[in-house]
Amino acid sequence: MASAVPADVPIIHDDHNPLADLWHAVIGFFKVMMNNRAGFIGFIGLVAYFVLTFIAPAFIAFDDEVNLDEVAGPPGSRIQLIVREENADVYTSFESLAGKTVGVVDQTGGPSLIEPWEETLEIEEFNWNSRRTGPGILAGLTALDEGEIDAMLIFSKSVRQFVTNPAEVEQKEAFADLVVSNPTLGPAHLLGTDTQGRDIATHIVHGGRELILVAIGAGLISTLIAVVFGSAAAIFGGVIDKVLTAFTNLILAIPQFPLLVVLAGLLTLNSPILLAMLIGVLSWPTLMRSVRSQVLSLRERDYVEAAVALDLGTRHIMFREILPNMISYIAVNFVFSITAAMYSQIGLVVLGLAPITNYTWGVMLYFGRSRGTMFNPEGASMALAPVVAIALFQVFMIMFARSLEEVFDPRLRRSN
Amino acid sequence: MATQDPVMNEVGAGVKQASIFDVMLFRLGNIYRNYTLQVILQAILTIWGVITFTFFLIRLMPGNPIDVLVAQILNQEAVSYQEAYARVAASFDFDPDASVVDQYFDYLGGLLRLDLGESLVSPGTKVVDQLLHFLPWTVFSVGMGLLISFTLGILLGILMAYYRNSPLDHILSLIASVLSAVPNFIWALVIIIVFGINLRWFNIGELRGVYSPNLRPGINLEFMLDVLKHAALPIFIYVISTLGTWMLSMKSSTVSVLSEDYVTVAEARGLTARRIATAYVGRNAALPLFTQLMIAIGFVLGGAVVIEEILVYWGVGHYLFYSITTRDYTAMQGVFLVITASVVFANVFADLLYARLDPRVRVEGEG
Repeated sequence: MASAVPADVPIIHDDHNPLADLWHAVIGFFKVMMNNRAGFIGFIGLVAYFVLTFIAPAFIAFDDEVNLDEVAGPPGSRIQLIVREENADVYTSFESLAGKTVGVVDQTGGPSLIEPWEETLEIEEFNWNSRRTGPGILAGLTALDEGEIDAMLIFSKSVRQFVTNPAEVEQKEAFADLVVSNPTLGPAHLLGTDTQGRDIATHIVHGGRELILVAIGAGLISTLIAVVFGSAAAIFGGVIDKVLTAFTNLILAIPQFPLLVVLAGLLTLNSPILLAMLIGVLSWPTLMRSVRSQVLSLRERDYVEAAVALDLGTRHIMFREILPNMISYIAVNFVFSITAAMYSQIGLVVLGLAPITNYTWGVMLYFGRSRGTMFNPEGASMALAPVVAIALFQVFMIMFARSLEEVFDPRLRRSN
Repeated sequence: MATQDPVMNEVGAGVKQASIFDVMLFRLGNIYRNYTLQVILQAILTIWGVITFTFFLIRLMPGNPIDVLVAQILNQEAVSYQEAYARVAASFDFDPDASVVDQYFDYLGGLLRLDLGESLVSPGTKVVDQLLHFLPWTVFSVGMGLLISFTLGILLGILMAYYRNSPLDHILSLIASVLSAVPNFIWALVIIIVFGINLRWFNIGELRGVYSPNLRPGINLEFMLDVLKHAALPIFIYVISTLGTWMLSMKSSTVSVLSEDYVTVAEARGLTARRIATAYVGRNAALPLFTQLMIAIGFVLGGAVVIEEILVYWGVGHYLFYSITTRDYTAMQGVFLVITASVVFANVFADLLYARLDPRVRVEGEG
């Protein structure tokens, strides 16, 4: 391991300014990272994720408005302006419609979109489903067709359903002279809409923070337990070593995910903190074994033996001699443990066994599956968007961790 | 390990005096030091540990299933606490009057007779029978998946190591990184959504279950093809989600073996490149991967809970999830034990296989 430490990193820190050391390490880190393409991509990706999930939520509001006509809309779907054919070139915006009558259907995205223009426009509101006139969208389209109103706001998916749908020949003929004059009127739903007509993109922005924090928390707990148990076993040896090793092997033999599933079934997992603790407490054994063997081999190093001979005390040997030489190894494994925690956590959520109070990527996935949008080619986005978000996060994490490994272990760099 | 063993130390002291007692101890030490026995003994101890753990988890935890069930019966029916408790005890197959320790030994005895109790949800159904119904499918799909990905990963890993730093290596490395990074259930979802539903390459409705409901199980071609068809998707998921790890490990392992002296010597002796690749490089480079295989077995079998649920493949993972959602605690306990036992025995198998392939393990274990 001593050979793994670059020559310019001082092992004895006492004579140095710690801030200068840190600066030195950061500069060195970036230098090597720039030379390592995969690591660089991973690093940039993680920075992007940080911005997306921790900073962007402050600027982008979580879309919680239920819109009945925008259910399971495909990516890019939005509210469009539909008019009679002869007006197609004239009525293309709210400005050009000044003084005219525009139809909207309540409980859809239309009323809120048209709100700023209330003063200049005549608004005709149709009921989503009224006993007298039937479905609001059809009533509105009929009114438009018969010249009662001049334009109508309608969701792009409904356009296909009611106006351009070739399967419904009768309807198509009835509305044959209706056209979309402005296909890009409303704000586009970048990733489509969910089963309640809410914007998926805003949910993606808001849905990552809790997952990442729980994963980091679980990773911290498991890394801490692994380091404490692993070094205790290696340093004290004897009975402590035997007991700890046997205990670790026992935990290691239990398949972790089923145990987690069983525990989640027995306990009521209702808080993210509890979830992080549970995952952390179950996932340390592999790392504990490697930490133990690392400390065992570091203990044989000359400088550690010198410290032992000088009787500098266990605490000094552990924190000043052994730990600094192991810290890079621990850092890499910490990143790996975060990805492992992410796996367990989302696995539990997908099965519906973890808290679904906050709307995270996992919960989106759970609802996308349980509400069946996954099986609808148009609405697949509700499940596919979080799937891609999770997959990319894991890929960036692993790329970053692998390159960290190479940065800290020059032997790996050479062999590649 | 063995050298720190008290039996060994006594044997060391006893050789000088050589009494009958010491000879016996020496024999015992020999048995203890037998690698195969050691591995099996450890496995049995582990399983016993897990049994004990689940037993006390179910009984002694605050809000444990037994208390919950008793409360449930008390809420629904006008019976006394004793009666409700006795009924729960009957379904869990334990004597309500006995102490926890006695119950524990009763439970262990039942397990030795392979009796896991009766299902709480469908009374009269033995958990063992249910398990025998579900387990083979999981063993089949997970086993096939791991076998294919391990073989394929080793071959591709050697290829990457021989052509390292070539475009081929870079592309394969990138693919392997992505394959290993993305969780297996995410792969399952992507494949269902993209290929099953959007591109309609296959009909996921037809792939539900372990075989088509209109077929009778039997040894005939039609049935076997049908079983393969239903298992193809889970097997494929297990392959792609583990392949990347094997490729990358095999590559780095092969690269380090290629720089060993004995490979240079073999080249100097004029052996064919093919023989060096198979007998010298491949064999030695694959050895460290067996340790990883042991961890992978547990991981993949554990992950089968989600995979089988997403792909609607009726294996033991599906049964575990079903028993959890229906609060069938006896079934849950039984399935969990069986999954653990399978992992432990798979580890024993891998350990022994490893020892056969690498004599050093056996020797170190014994000496």
